Amino acid sequence: MTKKKLLLNIFGPILSVVVLVGLWQAIVVWGNVAPYIAPKPWDAIKAVTSNWSTLAPLTWWTIKETVYGYLTGALLGAFLGVVLNKIPLMQRVLYPLLILTQAIPIIALAPPLVMILGFGVMPKVVIVAWIVFFPVTVSVLDGLNHVDKDLMTLAKVFGANSLRRFVVLEMPAAITQLFSGLKIGATYAVTGAIIGELAASSGSSLALYQRSASGSLDAAGVYGTTLIMTAIGIIWFLLVVGAEYLATPWQRRSTARQWRRGAKPVLTNN
Amino acid sequence: MKRNFLSISVAGAVMALSSLTVLSAGSVASASSLTSVKFVYDFPGPDMEIIPVVVAQKEGFFKANGLNVSVEFPPTTSSTTQLLTTGSGDIGFITTSDMAVAVQAKAPVISVANYSMSNNWGLFAKPGSTLTLAALKGKKIFSWGDTWTNAMIPFVLKKAHLKASDITIVTGSNDTPLLMKGTIDFTTSTTNYAIPGITEATKSAPVGIVGAAAGVPNVPVWVYAVTHNYANQHGKNVRAFLKAIKAATIWASNHQTKAVADFMAAYPKSGYSKFYSTKGWALTVPLLTNAAGKYFVQTNKQWTTLATALKSVKLLKSVPAPSTYYTNKFLP
Repeated sequence: MTKKKLLLNIFGPILSVVVLVGLWQAIVVWGNVAPYIAPKPWDAIKAVTSNWSTLAPLTWWTIKETVYGYLTGALLGAFLGVVLNKIPLMQRVLYPLLILTQAIPIIALAPPLVMILGFGVMPKVVIVAWIVFFPVTVSVLDGLNHVDKDLMTLAKVFGANSLRRFVVLEMPAAITQLFSGLKIGATYAVTGAIIGELAASSGSSLALYQRSASGSLDAAGVYGTTLIMTAIGIIWFLLVVGAEYLATPWQRRSTARQWRRGAKPVLTNN
Repeated sequence: MKRNFLSISVAGAVMALSSLTVLSAGSVASASSLTSVKFVYDFPGPDMEIIPVVVAQKEGFFKANGLNVSVEFPPTTSSTTQLLTTGSGDIGFITTSDMAVAVQAKAPVISVANYSMSNNWGLFAKPGSTLTLAALKGKKIFSWGDTWTNAMIPFVLKKAHLKASDITIVTGSNDTPLLMKGTIDFTTSTTNYAIPGITEATKSAPVGIVGAAAGVPNVPVWVYAVTHNYANQHGKNVRAFLKAIKAATIWASNHQTKAVADFMAAYPKSGYSKFYSTKGWALTVPLLTNAAGKYFVQTNKQWTTLATALKSVKLLKSVPAPSTYYTNKFLP
C-alpha cells in the first residue's frame, strides 16, 4: 500500500466523521434547535461520560446480546449455505422459507419470542441471529455456486475426494462472499438487539434507558445512547473487517508467502 | 399504561392517516370559515380516552365553536410535548408527570386544563391472585416504561418498605398476555385501562391496589397542554377548544353508549373491542370531575404535590412555583 493510500485510508473516515459532527453542530446552533429536541454533539458525548457508571453495564449487556446472536446467526447461516449447496432438493424446499423468514417484520416477531423465551438474553439472541443468518446463508450459497466448474473437475480427475475439494477449492472460493454477508450482518446485529430490548426487558437495558431519557425530554441522553449503539455496530463491523483481512491474504498478495509454499526462505548476508 | 403498544401503533398510524383524509375531505366546504387546530394525543393509537375529542368532532361541538380539529398520533408515548414545541401540534394530551419533566427541561409548555381529577393508577393482578404491598417482594412487575409509571413505582416501593432490587421490573409493550401466562406477577396501569383489559381476557375483574392504597400521590393523571407561544397568540382557539371539549365531555358522560359508538365509528380499527371501550369509558367518566363536580379546574395544590413527590423520587431537581405548570385562564 502506498503512503498516500494509507493516509487516505486513515484520514478519510476521520474527515467524514468530523464533517458529520460539524454539520450536526451547525444545524443545532444555527437552527436554534432547543436542547430538549436535539443536543449539540458535545452535550450528547457528555451525557454518556457523566452517566457512564449507569450506562457501562447496560452497554456490556447489549454487546453480549449482539455477539451471542451474531455468532449464532453466522454459524447457522454458513452451515445452511453449505447444506443448501450440497443438497439441491433442500435448496428448492428451504430457499422460499428462508425468504419468508426475512419478510416477517422483526418488530412483530419480538413479542411472541418474549412470550416463549422470557425476558432474558435469549429472545434478543434469537432476533439478532434471525437478522444475521440470512445474508450469510445467501452469500455462502452464492460463493459455493460460483466455484469454477473446470477446477472442480480437474481436482476430481487428480483424485481429490469431496471433502478435499470442499476444503481446497470451495471454501476459499466462498470465503470472500461469506465475509460480505458477515459485514452486512454486523451492521444490522445491534439493531436486532435493541429491538429485542424494546420488546421486553427485565431490569434495564440501553433501549429502555433511551426510552426513559426520551420521556424526560433528555435529548442529550437519547442521542448519547444512540452514539453508544452506533459505536457497538461500528466496532463490531471493524472486527469483522479485521477478521476478513486475516482470513483472505490472497486479496492483498497474488502469491502465497514463501513459508506457505514450503520453500526455504532466502537468507541474505547483507 | 395502555395495552398492546405495537399493534396499536400500527393501527394508530393507519387511523391517523385515514382520519386526516376523511377530515380533509369532509371539511372542504366549511374549512374556510373554521379555524384549524391540530390535537396531539398522548399515545401512538386511539383509545377510549380520546372520546371527548371524537364526540366534539362527530356531534358538532368543535364546529359550533368555530374549530376544525384534526387528530395527530405521536410516534411514541413520550413525544407529544416535543410535537407541540416544534409546532407539529397545537393542543396536546399528556400526563402531569410529562408536564413536570417538560418544565424541568425548559420546554415552553403549559397545562390549560385537567382531563382527569384524581390518581387512578395502581398495581393489578389476575382475578383470584393475592395482591398486597407485603406480597410484592421478589415479584415480577410489568411497566410500560413511560414517565408516569417510572414516577409512580418508587412510591409503591416506599409504601411497601422495599428497595428497587427487591422486585423485578419488566418493561414491554403488552402486559395482558404476559399476565395471563404467568410470566409476570403484576402489572401497572390505571383502572380505566387495566380493568376492561383483564376483565375481557379472563371474564372476571382483576384484583388491584390503586391510588393512596398503593402509596402514590393523589394528583390528576392527564392534562391538556399547549406551548406558551400558542397560548399567547391563539388564546381564542384554546378557549374555544376547551369550551367544545367541556360540552362534548358532558355529552359523552350522559350518552355513554352513543359516545362509544362515535369512537368505534371514527376508529373501527383501533384494536379495542366495544366491550373494552364501553367499560373503559364508564370507568373514565367518574374521574373527569372534582369533588365539587367541576371539570378541568387545576389547583396550586395538585402541582405542588406532584412536583414535591417527583422530587422525592429524584425525577425532578427542584419544585418550581405551581404557576410554572398551569393556567386556568382559558377555562370556559
